Amino acid sequence: MIESVEFRNLKALRNTSLPLGRFTLIVGPNGSGKSTALWALLAAGNMRLLDFNKIATAGLPVDPSTTVEVVLCWGKPYDGVMTYARWSTSGRNHVHANIKQELSDDQVRSLNEDLNNILGAIRIYSFDAPSIAAPTSLEPRMTLLSNGGNLAGVLDRLRDHEPERFEALNEEMGRWLPEFERILFDTPSNGQRSFLLRTREGHHKIQASELSQGTLIALAILTLAYIPDPPPIVCLEEPDRGIHPRLLREVRDAMYRLSYPENYGEKRDPVQVIATTHSPYLLDLFKDHPEEVVIANKVDQDVSFERLSDRNDLDEILGDAQLGDAWYSGVLGGVPSHP
Amino acid sequence: MKLVVLSESPEDEAAARILVDGILGIQTKLVAPPSLRARGWPQVLNVLPAVLRQLHYHTDADGLVVIVDSDGSTPHQLTHVPSNDAAQGCRVCKLRLVADQVQNGLTQVPNRAPLKTAFGLAIPALEAWLLCGVDPSAIEAAYIQRPDAAKQHLRLQLKRDVYGTDRPSREVRMKRMTEEAMRLVQILDEFERLFPNGFGAFARDIRSW
Repeated sequence: MIESVEFRNLKALRNTSLPLGRFTLIVGPNGSGKSTALWALLAAGNMRLLDFNKIATAGLPVDPSTTVEVVLCWGKPYDGVMTYARWSTSGRNHVHANIKQELSDDQVRSLNEDLNNILGAIRIYSFDAPSIAAPTSLEPRMTLLSNGGNLAGVLDRLRDHEPERFEALNEEMGRWLPEFERILFDTPSNGQRSFLLRTREGHHKIQASELSQGTLIALAILTLAYIPDPPPIVCLEEPDRGIHPRLLREVRDAMYRLSYPENYGEKRDPVQVIATTHSPYLLDLFKDHPEEVVIANKVDQDVSFERLSDRNDLDEILGDAQLGDAWYSGVLGGVPSHP
Repeated sequence: MKLVVLSESPEDEAAARILVDGILGIQTKLVAPPSLRARGWPQVLNVLPAVLRQLHYHTDADGLVVIVDSDGSTPHQLTHVPSNDAAQGCRVCKLRLVADQVQNGLTQVPNRAPLKTAFGLAIPALEAWLLCGVDPSAIEAAYIQRPDAAKQHLRLQLKRDVYGTDRPSREVRMKRMTEEAMRLVQILDEFERLFPNGFGAFARDIRSW
C-alpha cells in the first residue's frame, strides 16, 4: 500500500504531500490537483505518460537541474521503501526505489519487481457512458478500460469463468437498480459482444446504448467490485457521477468491497482505492471515518492536502452538521475561493 | 395499520418496523413505495414538515415512525415538555414540537384520521439498542453518563460489537439488524427498563395509537 505521495513542481502541486490509506476520498475545488495527483501515480509506473514541459509548475525556472518529482512512500508490506519518479528538462526521466533495509541483491531485485508490477497495474477509472455501452471485440483476457470500455467483454468473461460471481453481481444489480433483473449478451457481429439488461416487469431487453448514464456507470462500478482480479490500486474519478444520491451508500459499499474484501466474504488481497468527488451526499457517508477523507485546499496557485482526521477540532466544528454540509459551507476548506 | 418509517436506510426501516409490530402485537403494512429517507440529523428534522404534509394529504398512512441517534445530544426524559425542552437540544422534543406545529396547521381531509406519530431516540446510536440483553453494559443510563457518548470511537465500537466490523456490508447490516430487532421484541419489558427514555418513550407513543 502507498501511505503517502509527495509532489514537487507538478502543476499546482508545487510542494505538498497526499496522505493515503486503504481507502481515500479526496474532495476539493476544481483545479485543486486531485486528478493531477492520480495521474502522477499512474505515471510513476509509466513515466512516458507525462512530459516535463506539460506538467511542470508554471513559472518554474528552466534549468537542467530542475525536476518534477513524485515520491511514493510505501507502507506494509514494503515499509520504509520510497519510489522516486523524476522528470527533467533534458527528457532524462527516471524512476528508482530507495530501500532502507539491508537486503540481498536477489531480495532487492524481487522487491523492485513487486513494486514495478504494482505501479504498472495502477488504473484510473473515469467512466463515460457511451464507452461503457459500446460493443467489445472479444479477446482472451478482457480488462475494463479507464473509460469503462470493454465492459461487455469483462462481463462475458465473468459469466464464463466465474459464474458464481456473475450471479452475485446480477443479484446486487437487482438491488441497486430494481427495475432490472439480469445482464444478457448479444453478438452484434462476429467476434463482438454487447450487453443488455432485462427488465423485471415484462422481461423487456434493453440495449446498453439505450440505458441511462447513471445505470451504465453504476454497472461499471459494480463490475469492478465483483471481478476476481481487480488492479492493486484503483483510482476512481467521481464515482457518484450520474448516480442518484440514494444509491451512494451502495457505491461506497462497492468501493469498500474492493478495499476491505474481508468484510464482504472476499478472499483476495485488499485493493487500495483512491476516489475523488464533489458530492456532499457521498461525503456524508464518511462521517464515522474522517481518516478516509482528504481535503484538497487551493490557496492562490498553491495546493495542500489535509487528512480530515488530522483536524483536532473536527468534532467540535461539526457538532450536529453533516460532513457534506460542513464541507460545502467552507468550514472544512476544500472549496473554491469564489463564488 | 399502514405505517411509514422515515429512516436513513432500508436496514433501519426494517428494524423499526419489526419493533413497531412487536410493540403493537400486529403486523403493520408499509405504505407503498417509495420509502422515505432522511440523511441523518438535522436533515430529518428539516424534512419532517414536508413528510407530515405529504402523508396527511396524499396517502392513507395511519402512523409515522422516526428513530434518530442521540449522538451525544440532550437525552430525552419522560418529564420533558416539548415546548420547553426542544430548546435545550432534546431531539425527541424538537421532533414532537415540529410535528405538533405542522399537524395543527393541516386542513382536515374527509375520512382521514389524524396521522399518529412516534419518535424514538437511540442513545447514543441504534447499535446500542441492538446490544440490549446481550451486552450487560448496554444500558441507556450508562451511555448517558459516558463523557465520550458523542465520540466517533464509541460509534465505531458499537458497530464492531454488533456487526463484527465498523464497515459492515449491506447484507450484514440487514441480517444483524433484523435478527436483533426480532430478539428485542421477545424481551420488550427488559428493553424498556434498560432504555427507558429513548426506547421507552417511543414504545409508549406507539401504544397510545
